[in-house]
Amino acid sequence: MSATLCVKLQRNQGWLPLIQSVRHGSKAVTRHKKPVHILKQKLIAVTQYIPPARTVPPGAYPSEEKHVQEDNEFVLLLKKNLEEVFEECKMIAVVQTNACSVDDMLMLRHRLCKHSIKIRFFPNQVMRSFLSNSVYSNMAPLFIGPTVLFVSKEPKVKEMMSALRVSPQMTLLGACIDNTLLSSQGVVSYAKLPSLTVVQGELVSGLTMLTSRTAFMLQRHPAHLSALLQQYIKQQSPDDGAEATPKAEEAS
Amino acid sequence: MAATSKSTVLLKAVKKITIQFCPFESNVRSTREFLALVGSEKVRSTNTNCEVISVVKHDKSEPVIDVTYVDGERLVMKGEWLTCREMLSAFQSRCKDKDPQIKAGAKK
Repeated sequence: MSATLCVKLQRNQGWLPLIQSVRHGSKAVTRHKKPVHILKQKLIAVTQYIPPARTVPPGAYPSEEKHVQEDNEFVLLLKKNLEEVFEECKMIAVVQTNACSVDDMLMLRHRLCKHSIKIRFFPNQVMRSFLSNSVYSNMAPLFIGPTVLFVSKEPKVKEMMSALRVSPQMTLLGACIDNTLLSSQGVVSYAKLPSLTVVQGELVSGLTMLTSRTAFMLQRHPAHLSALLQQYIKQQSPDDGAEATPKAEEAS
Repeated sequence: MAATSKSTVLLKAVKKITIQFCPFESNVRSTREFLALVGSEKVRSTNTNCEVISVVKHDKSEPVIDVTYVDGERLVMKGEWLTCREMLSAFQSRCKDKDPQIKAGAKK
């Protein structure tokens, strides 16, 4: 630790000063960084310069508002097509294609065309931006990667499933049938549903079952009575016939 | 995307690949990309005996890729937090390890 002693010069000139500062202890100029005394540290910390916050002049940087990109005309056309597709077609299925070869695609198209199911492709971005603005926003997470739409006006699910079973690289992700979003298992169970007439017949029979049962219950007693009487008459008439013939034989 | 790294995806050592995911979840992007790469015609043609099966579920389960190799080893990758590249590199490194073994075994 160096100690600097005050220097006081005597007024008499020519005299050597009484007090002289002597450097001793550790050196002032060192090769390593000398640890700063705690008091000096505190002083420096308290008196540190804090520059004022520099405000950005208003026109310097571009504003961070989300730029609503105007769609170009091709995108608008695609969106119009999409709107028509969603309005016309009752069944829209989303299928992931894993780089099908052209031949397989052609075969699939041919098979589906027979049942008037069309294969349509739209870019994912356009699809997602369209869906986010429409009612069908829950379909948006399906459109990742290579996807293709199977659209048809009539919900012909069985034919579609059979065509998909033949081509293994197409994966059914989900479908929107009659404005209801279905998963792949939902589509499978939809395919297994019986036709509308069968279901209606079952419903009618179920509803009328109760009324028919009550009618049957009400008529059970008179029906039973009439059956018993008929049986009695049948029994009586052969007995009468049998009695009449022996009487006739006795008489004769 | 990962097209350059997949140029040598060979499925010769692979018996079956099962990919199951739930498309309505938000964590399936990498799994679907992996499926798109592995299920493409080029890659399938390297080994026609290998089956690539995709199972689509709707139960909020995590996406799983299950690879069964010819020698019975299984590689299970849970794709929820993995990127497509990581999964592909893991898969390809194991395929390459197995492939020269099979070739050496065939030569012998």
